[in-house]
Amino acid sequence: MISAQVLALIDNAFLSLVGSAIPASTVVLLAATGAMLGERVGVLNLGQEGLIGVGAVYAVIAVLSWGITSPWLALLIGMAAAALAGLIFAVAVVVFRANQVLVGLALALGGVGLSNQLGTNRNGTPIQNTFQEVSLGGSFEDGSVLEAFLFHDPIVYLAYIAMPVALWFLLFRTRHGMNMRAVGENPAAADAVGVSVMRSRLGYTVLGAALSGAGGAYMVLSFTPTWSPDIARGRGWVALAVVIFAGWRPGWVVAGALLYGSMISLDTTAQARGWELPFFGPSDLSFFLSMLPYVVTLIAILIPAGAAKIGRRVRATAAPGALAIPYWREER
Amino acid sequence: MTFGRWRLVRRLDTDARTAALTRVAGAVGALLLVGLLLLLTGRNPFWIFFEALKAIFGSQRGIEGVALRAIPILMTALGVALSLRMKVWNIGSDGQFLVGAFAAVGVGIHMDGPGWLVLTAMALAAIAAGAAWILLPALARAFWDVNEIITTLLLNFVAIQLVTWSALGFWRDKKAAVIQSTEKVPFTLPDLPGSKSLTVALLVPFLIALALWWVFRSTTVGYEIDTIGGNPRAAGFAGIRVRRRILTVMLVTGAIAGLGGMLQLSAPGAQALNAGFSAQFGLSGFIVAALAGASFAGVIGGGVFIASMFYAGLVLQTKGLSVYIIFGMYGIILTGIALGEIAARFRLERADADGGVDESGDAGGSGGVDGSGDAVLEGATT
Amino acid sequence: MTARGVTKAFGGVRALDSVDFEADWGEVHALLGENGAGKTTLCNILAGIYRADSGDIAVGGARRELRNPAQAIEAGIGMVHQHFRLVEPMTVAENIHLGWPETPGVVTQRALIDRTRRFMDEIGLHVDPTAKIWQLSVGEQQRVEILRVLARGARVLILDEPTAVLTAPEAEDLFKVMRSLAAAGLTVIFISHKLNEVLEVSDRLTVLRNGVREITRPSAGATAQELARLMTGEERELEVEHRVVTGEASLDLRGVSARNDRGIGALHEVDLTVRAGEIMGIAGVSGNGQTELAEVICSLRPAQSGSITLNGTDITDFSVRAIANMGVGHIPEDRIGVGMVLSAPVKDNAVLHNYWTGEFSRGVSLDRARVISFAKRLVELARVQTRSVFAAAGQLSGGNQQRLVARREALVGDRALVAAHPTRGLDVNAAQEVRATILEKRDHGCAVLMISDDLDEIMLMSDRIAVMYEGRVMGVFDAADADRERIGLLMGGHEPALAAAP
Repeated sequence: MISAQVLALIDNAFLSLVGSAIPASTVVLLAATGAMLGERVGVLNLGQEGLIGVGAVYAVIAVLSWGITSPWLALLIGMAAAALAGLIFAVAVVVFRANQVLVGLALALGGVGLSNQLGTNRNGTPIQNTFQEVSLGGSFEDGSVLEAFLFHDPIVYLAYIAMPVALWFLLFRTRHGMNMRAVGENPAAADAVGVSVMRSRLGYTVLGAALSGAGGAYMVLSFTPTWSPDIARGRGWVALAVVIFAGWRPGWVVAGALLYGSMISLDTTAQARGWELPFFGPSDLSFFLSMLPYVVTLIAILIPAGAAKIGRRVRATAAPGALAIPYWREER
Repeated sequence: MTFGRWRLVRRLDTDARTAALTRVAGAVGALLLVGLLLLLTGRNPFWIFFEALKAIFGSQRGIEGVALRAIPILMTALGVALSLRMKVWNIGSDGQFLVGAFAAVGVGIHMDGPGWLVLTAMALAAIAAGAAWILLPALARAFWDVNEIITTLLLNFVAIQLVTWSALGFWRDKKAAVIQSTEKVPFTLPDLPGSKSLTVALLVPFLIALALWWVFRSTTVGYEIDTIGGNPRAAGFAGIRVRRRILTVMLVTGAIAGLGGMLQLSAPGAQALNAGFSAQFGLSGFIVAALAGASFAGVIGGGVFIASMFYAGLVLQTKGLSVYIIFGMYGIILTGIALGEIAARFRLERADADGGVDESGDAGGSGGVDGSGDAVLEGATT
Repeated sequence: MTARGVTKAFGGVRALDSVDFEADWGEVHALLGENGAGKTTLCNILAGIYRADSGDIAVGGARRELRNPAQAIEAGIGMVHQHFRLVEPMTVAENIHLGWPETPGVVTQRALIDRTRRFMDEIGLHVDPTAKIWQLSVGEQQRVEILRVLARGARVLILDEPTAVLTAPEAEDLFKVMRSLAAAGLTVIFISHKLNEVLEVSDRLTVLRNGVREITRPSAGATAQELARLMTGEERELEVEHRVVTGEASLDLRGVSARNDRGIGALHEVDLTVRAGEIMGIAGVSGNGQTELAEVICSLRPAQSGSITLNGTDITDFSVRAIANMGVGHIPEDRIGVGMVLSAPVKDNAVLHNYWTGEFSRGVSLDRARVISFAKRLVELARVQTRSVFAAAGQLSGGNQQRLVARREALVGDRALVAAHPTRGLDVNAAQEVRATILEKRDHGCAVLMISDDLDEIMLMSDRIAVMYEGRVMGVFDAADADRERIGLLMGGHEPALAAAP
């Protein structure tokens, strides 16, 4: 394979960084995509942190307590649990029109509390039935750049290729997606032409929650693979930031998640290569790098916004017009 | 939605008292739900409740324990409540609290001088650090219209890493091998007369609440902040420099939280930073602010309530209740508050009333979560 | 289509009280009434937006349940709202296909655009299908709404105050479309309170007053006076004595240019003089720079060039407050959105435009007692009905809110008053009160700049009239020799030279 030789030749630091970021980013990618789905129909779900926790703990319970051997089934159970939590959230904010910020935070808190409580007796127990890695073709030596790109478990392929393409198609190439976008931009307009605002908001908030739950389940079924308290460790919040960075576009969500993952794998790379932080010791670099993903995510949000403001241009992609605003029909 | 002769009608605006009542009713309803859940999972909520009461009011230690927890919770809650007056959500008070403590420890372990001078310098450093921590989100919100929720929140994680780094890394106390924390600040704030563990720090949140109450009652600054919160365009119409005002108020909220970190640090027995320094006081503070709405007196009441729950949770950990359940409860209470808030938007009136408006029955005041649930079905579109 | 005994109440107030209404195929049926008479509520019920508390609706003889807009469309009823229900960041083609079961499930932009072109050819109305809604003029947006309703096979078309936002030529085009649709056998129901256009275009008309039907009759033979009496219940005319004021300019604009919110030029080299003790009426269709004109004068919007003086002082670069301190009041176009804080108590709203002055504050301290007593005085003066000055402004009715703002600004405006659409959305009584306030200011020597898109109001109130079109002043007339037709032409952008010729 020519391309393999070419790639092997360029032992490119950037490529290996991004490549090794893929598994670390998957959780964020799934949660960010879930959050984006909800936001596209105008529902801001700040509870991602809790949804990841719930998805993870129920996948763990399925494997360790219910004797589920198939990781796929465990994944589905985790997703279903998160969907149920998402349904409670959705009923509160869509049917009852409660404040999305408050209930979202409640979901974050409650979800983390619940999952930690349920996981108490399962701390550190390794999960045996994990997803097995499959190759997209060819065989390569361990640690090569190509391996980092072409050798993963099926969830990675689904999350990075199938899901973004399918969502892009849904949003921009179907009647249903067009109606969805209208609900997020201007629910009164969508309502006036007979699109059910409540149904699409409920549906996509719950579906989004299931995807975020899949992120949590993926963590314990492949990435770690074991339960530990506070399993999301801020990934839920990063996912929300990634949605903003991505401008609510499925493809850009992949890029945002990889950016975050690259910052994580920078730590491993740095340790492996023995880098040090100037004026500090080698262990300090690790501490410093653990702050980096959040700082970089923050800057990734600020730079486009600042550039648009300074350049006095209307942003090419803006938030859905009705994001986080409850919709009442009989307004007078 | 009609129930026999009664029906629910959405009202255009609510007065503050009804809104406060329904919020509290929502929180109480949520607590009842928590009790029910405890009952269903085989725990006795009444026993837990009485154990909690005993733990708190059974001794001076219990009351002081609550007061000790109330300080950080009140400080963060006051900051959040101030920002909520302007409809700004500062969710980063945990981070501002932590960097306040971080700055205070930095000054405290490196500065020589008399105790009062060092403590003053620590407080100033904490105020500056808290404000600095929210500077970027505040600038972005004020001048670039970037929503502050995610930006303030992301900085919490940076602050946690920074504190961990300082405790395990550059300021680590190398003499103490077992406990991983920074070196100790040799000074504490003066004791409160007649108390075993409390310092004058307890007075600070009350003084700040009093000051804020005065600002909003009888100054143009408070008037302007409320105007921005109510309608930013009207604020522009009134010649208020909205962006600048948002920036300064956000900085003040950060400063208050930062000062809270210093107060926590200079309590006897604390005096040093470790990785578990903040038990997510910012989140507790956020719930207090949500419960109190715009009222600073409400913040004091709500803060004491949440601090009692927090302390009871700590004490009851030995009796089969974990700190995780407390956070789970927070989630349910917050949902109850949000639903209570929405219930205030409805009014129960007689279905056969002829045009007249019946003032008697306010929805939600009666039934907490359940009442609010029914209340909103009128607006439901299917 | 027929409606029988339709009743609907909001918050205990009956908007419609057992109303009967019927319209035939092939007719243009006008629905007349004052603001708050229930015209829009009735149409919203017909279109499935509101659900009637009681009453039956039948289309083509068959009784229909209209629980939501989809069912109304199925029944062949489509409505074009006064505030368009279009999704701004989406294209014309997307908006037309939105929520429509006949849109193909999987579809590309190109396919949508092709389909849209075909509809436009069939119906005979055209808009660029690839344009985003926010790029279109108001008239074009209205056409998109009509196209959308007709493409879905609506046989009853309801238009809610369709001409309120249109220029005269655009309105003429719309009337042609309405006539041709009726000629094709459709029912066109249109809501209006402009008597002349109703008499011009409709076959039959129905008058509503306070939620009750007054009359349904053929339009032929009806007179404007008769209809006005039916609408308002009694005849009421404000006597306005027009003045000719000479002497020094009070408010003076020289070569003022400004941009709108999108950064596009909205005012071009505007020269305008308002003398003390006169009302200068600004005629024009909404969106031709009037809003920006008011905002530039009050410093809410920066002037790109030119100068503004008040009694000889250059106030171009003054702050918002300095201008208010000079005695310039401003009744903003969007009273609720800009001039009030609905969540704040009435007392706080009463001092919104002068709380910083020495009357209420020293340094940062605000004198509560003075604010309260001022608010009570204002409430009395403006005859605002409220429980107390501590009640939230949002609890006031719309008319009371407007009266509060108008009076407040009249008190601020010692020297000049900028009134943008001061009576828009008010019922007859409230409108007369606001007009009386403005006239009183004039009589006390205040320079009044009054913007309105209601030409009748401009003709009634103004001592001099300036016409604006696309950010330019097309001509200035004395009230005495102002000619309706010529002003109408200028409003539509026709040749100023020709129109301004004496």
